[in-house]
Amino acid sequence: SLSTSAASESDADELQKEQQARSVLRENFLRCLLSAASKNVQFNMYEKVKMEAKFGACDIDVLNFQVSDLHTPIGVQKEALIRSQDVISFTFEI
Amino acid sequence: MEGGWPLLGPLQWVRYVKKQVKVKVGRNEEVRGWLFTVDPVSASMVLVDFMESEGTLVQVVMGHAVEEVQVLKEPDRKIADRLQSMFLPPRTSILDP
Repeated sequence: SLSTSAASESDADELQKEQQARSVLRENFLRCLLSAASKNVQFNMYEKVKMEAKFGACDIDVLNFQVSDLHTPIGVQKEALIRSQDVISFTFEI
Repeated sequence: MEGGWPLLGPLQWVRYVKKQVKVKVGRNEEVRGWLFTVDPVSASMVLVDFMESEGTLVQVVMGHAVEEVQVLKEPDRKIADRLQSMFLPPRTSILDP
């Protein structure tokens, strides 16, 4: 019927707008990650733990961060993976 | 906005982009900055702080840690331009022969 096709048209319109917004947001996020690569990053973890490391990369669904020279409270770990679930935020300077 | 930040979706997130926001994270911590983007996969926020003397501080807040987001300020022209050109490659190479 006329009303349902009009509705599905506006749905498609909405979906396209959402996809557009999604792609712009993701592209900008990936550019941000690129600029973090091989920079010194400070990780703020839960339980007030702060650690410094050299940023490497993260996986596509941002579940893990790969870092080098991770300064943990009990020593320096040459290479490490950090679970993003344990991280509150991370900061770096450009 | 209170709670449910990761559930908002792209069309809601873009409404916060380029604005100065105050974000409550984890347990009673608070961060401020200009929102550069939100990762649509993890809902992580990229906040930018233009410091007076030194460089620019970039803070990525994991989506799961976001408790509350509050808009503080709209950007002026200068801030909007700086945010627009952030993280872009220094120059685009021309691929035409």
